[in-house]
Amino acid sequence: METLIQQLINGVTLGSVYALIALGYTMVYGIIQLINFAHGEIFAAGGYIGVITLSLLNSRGVLESHPVLGLALAFLLAMAYCAFLAVALERVAYRPLRKASRLALLLSALGMSIFFSNGMMLCQGVYDKAYPTQLYATGQFTVGGAVVSYIQVYIVAGAVVLMVALNLFVNRTRLGKAMRSTAQDRTMSALLGINANRTITITFVIGAILAAAAGVMVGLYYGSVRFDMGFVPGIKAFAAAVLGGIGNLTGAVLGGMIIGLVEVFAAGYLASEYKDVFAFIILILVLYFRPTGIMGEQVDDTRV
Amino acid sequence: MRGFAKWTVWVVVAALAALPGWAAAKTLKIGSLSPLTGQYAADGNDIKQGVEIAIAQWEAKGGVPGYDEIEYLPQDSGCDGKQAVSAANKLVNLGVVGVIGAYCSSATLPASEVLMEGDVVMITPASTNEKVTERGHKLMFRACGRDDDQAKVVVEFLSRELKAKRVAIVDDKTTYTAGLAKNIKKFGKGKLEFVAHEHVNQGDKDFSGVLTKIKATRPDVLYMSLYNPEGNLMAIQARRLGLKAALMSEDAVYHPNYLTIAKDAGEGTFFTFGQPPSEDIPEVAAFIKAYSAKYGKPGSYSAYAYDAANILLGAVARVGADDPGKLAEAIRATRMQGASKYIQFDEKGDSGSTYKVLVVKDGKFVPYWDPETGKRY
Amino acid sequence: MATDLIRLGVVLAWGFVLLVPMLGARLGFDTFAFEWTRIWKVMGVLAVGGLLVVAQRAVSARRPDRAHAQHRSRVHVPAAWGWAALGVVAVVFPWFADNYARDVAINVLVYVTLGLGLNVVVGLAGLLDLGYIAFYAVGAYTYALLNTHFQIPFWLALPIGCVVSAGAGAVIGYPTLKMRGDYLAIVTLGFGEIIRLVLNNWDAVTEGPNGILGIKAPGIYYPVFGEGAVTFVHFYLKSLLWLYFVALAIAVVTVVGVHRLDRSRVGRAWISIREDETAAELTGIPTLKVKLLAYMLGAVFAGLAGAFFAAKVRYVNPSSFVFIESALVLCIVVLGGMGSIPGIILGAAAIIVLPEVFRGLELYRMLAFGGAMTVMMVFRPEGLIPAGRRKRELRGEAAAEGDAGA
Repeated sequence: METLIQQLINGVTLGSVYALIALGYTMVYGIIQLINFAHGEIFAAGGYIGVITLSLLNSRGVLESHPVLGLALAFLLAMAYCAFLAVALERVAYRPLRKASRLALLLSALGMSIFFSNGMMLCQGVYDKAYPTQLYATGQFTVGGAVVSYIQVYIVAGAVVLMVALNLFVNRTRLGKAMRSTAQDRTMSALLGINANRTITITFVIGAILAAAAGVMVGLYYGSVRFDMGFVPGIKAFAAAVLGGIGNLTGAVLGGMIIGLVEVFAAGYLASEYKDVFAFIILILVLYFRPTGIMGEQVDDTRV
Repeated sequence: MRGFAKWTVWVVVAALAALPGWAAAKTLKIGSLSPLTGQYAADGNDIKQGVEIAIAQWEAKGGVPGYDEIEYLPQDSGCDGKQAVSAANKLVNLGVVGVIGAYCSSATLPASEVLMEGDVVMITPASTNEKVTERGHKLMFRACGRDDDQAKVVVEFLSRELKAKRVAIVDDKTTYTAGLAKNIKKFGKGKLEFVAHEHVNQGDKDFSGVLTKIKATRPDVLYMSLYNPEGNLMAIQARRLGLKAALMSEDAVYHPNYLTIAKDAGEGTFFTFGQPPSEDIPEVAAFIKAYSAKYGKPGSYSAYAYDAANILLGAVARVGADDPGKLAEAIRATRMQGASKYIQFDEKGDSGSTYKVLVVKDGKFVPYWDPETGKRY
Repeated sequence: MATDLIRLGVVLAWGFVLLVPMLGARLGFDTFAFEWTRIWKVMGVLAVGGLLVVAQRAVSARRPDRAHAQHRSRVHVPAAWGWAALGVVAVVFPWFADNYARDVAINVLVYVTLGLGLNVVVGLAGLLDLGYIAFYAVGAYTYALLNTHFQIPFWLALPIGCVVSAGAGAVIGYPTLKMRGDYLAIVTLGFGEIIRLVLNNWDAVTEGPNGILGIKAPGIYYPVFGEGAVTFVHFYLKSLLWLYFVALAIAVVTVVGVHRLDRSRVGRAWISIREDETAAELTGIPTLKVKLLAYMLGAVFAGLAGAFFAAKVRYVNPSSFVFIESALVLCIVVLGGMGSIPGIILGAAAIIVLPEVFRGLELYRMLAFGGAMTVMMVFRPEGLIPAGRRKRELRGEAAAEGDAGA
């Protein structure tokens, strides 16, 4: 029982991270039908800016005197940086291809993914960069014998706050409305006076902000960042977005949680080395019986 | 299809450009194979830098007798057989006399087959799998220790010094880590009870699932048979889950990064590693000084790579490099104090293992237990 | 010109913001330092490059009737000449090359085979497959296992490998082909990962990450005319020279096979599915069966390439079959031009040879590779040598006008 609760906690933590990344995928897909492969690298860039900010503050002694302020600054700077990065990415690699084939767009994204991860390697080196904090040791409590550390609580709470904020933004604001209408029919909404390019840029920025937050959280949680840290979580998060029904925000969160839980339970009760296999098998099974994902609507007849 | 002929010409030009040309000067060419990109690039760079330091020192002394200059050709082998084979082919073609490398045993084994066929001497600074020197190749040498020796030390330490009973092992299934785990189980039969043996994949980041499973088996010791990035992460996550067991790991996790990343979680972790560089020995001190001046703290394989390069260059200085057989004999006859240990090769090409147990204390690696005396330092 | 300069300024400022923290911050083990020199170096390179582009644009804007001039400068060479030249080069090349160049050339041929195989799936049938390398793995492991356990020679294992790969294609294809578009992409990616992980973890059969050593090279029997009797001597084609010709043979078989498929009834069915699946179904094409066939045939070529790869390296392990390899093959197809056989040959040569040429710049080559991929997609999405049909599609109006005028 104790082990079961512990595994649930592990799975929800991991799932929150996947969900945050998956939201970015699903938003971009919803609006321009692109698998943004470089999204994982934006997530990694967020982790890097987090470690750079915290190291700077730590070396000036600020982190010790104002830890909360320091962390807030790390998150804000990472988000701002990733927003800049995402705008550049969209402008350089995706906007010129608005009318090109889907495959060209996809390969452009793949190219940017390789470019960014190697760029980060050249800038910051191949070694892991250690977060200067000891956040894993900030204390913990037990629930029914299972250990929960505060950092896990922060991650899940942070993810929930960001998801709720995103939901409100998309459903309650004018910009959100513009996003939804552009996603449904770009030409029509352009005719109605919605600037499609600007709306798409905003979508990228929001996705990047969520990924940046996830990047800093992961850096704090695992204690280090690395130039290639974005690739595998990127693929998993993409699978999560598809599993939930791509283009659907609630679906992305649900998908992220399912992938996180499946992985942890497969590692804990079956075989750890096959955990990714189980995650993908679940994905394939769901898509076989529900070809548009758990919460997805019927997609267009799309082709390459 | 228009312009196809033009493109054909371009392909031919490109193919010809790919043909390497070389100068006629009397140059001593040595190569290295290590992962310079990808997951294990950190250790791979340590190897490259170790060799560079050795070459710089030889050049400062006036070079290798009989040669005008030394040309160093570091190659990226990844941790991957295919890439290693291709890089090895390239080195054979460039006419190197010897190769330092590779890092992962899974790259060293296939690459060595190519080098042996090309009559090139190979000294691995990092691959500890037994098979490396067990295949009867006369030109194959090893500057580091062997898995089976390391496993014996681990078992002795756990059973005699720590008096541990219940041991959980995690490996990442590569040639090196899985081989080591197998040997520990073999030598530990009857002395230790192995309550769990789990596997993870290289590149995994989250081990909470498997660690929770291990925690339920109440081990006294968690043995992490992994490589560096995964080892750092596992130590943090194990402590965060409240796993009280002692942590132990091997030379592939032994790296300054373990201290900076795992921080308090790494405190008290035991490591097996070939003779910890004690700065009392002048050769070790000289190496650390030269290395730190250029690249910062030496990584765990820097000293082995440095020694391997010195062994090779020393042998070339004595007998030249025209006859690979003679060169190999000269290497086999090498007796010298290196930066990693005292070097002395046996018939198979092994240079002996000097595994000692270290512990992380106050954020530093300190010697802990000597298997020869069976006592603490 | 002026607007171009302003744009350049914005680009440089943007790049500066992105570069400062990433490139400037030097994190030691527990120290923090900041370094401006690298930032200025990179900014300098960017500024010079940007100014060159601006200057080039200013010059070309002044030159009138550019398109026409370009048209005139083209020399028309019949395709057959190109093929003949390529054939001669392919046969003569290895005799004059050293082992390293042969090794690279063999890799090119392997990727030509893979690219053409994937072309059947992506270029002809329009099914996006991100896990294609799995079939390559199946071919490689089939030969490796048959050879090391049962001593089955290469030439016998080759067809077996193809059959097993085709089987794998059917098994994977059947449940996935009901899905469309990007769902298919992620599921094929998933299957690719599953196969790699199973190879990595099913120790009893595949030896896990250690891989399988001791695979035999392809062998041939050649007759020796001795005293009154003819004896056959077995000979392993171990040297790269002989392996090159085996690879060449496989690539030629693939080229001919894909060319025939392209012109066949099935080929036309694939193209109709690619263009409009619903319409194809309405005209009576059994779409599921035809798509499955594309998948299986694509897998067959990957199986051929895989078996050869195992025989050449004489070693297989799962790390040769990672996702990035699938991306590489896809890149070859798209770079060369989807559906275009000469394009894919050129694409394979470019993708394999260029990184080797730039090996000196080891660390920068993947960066350049990624950047080039995006630049290529932005400026020439139809590929280096677009297939005739596809080109007319992508540049529809222009081509039609040109034809009318001629």
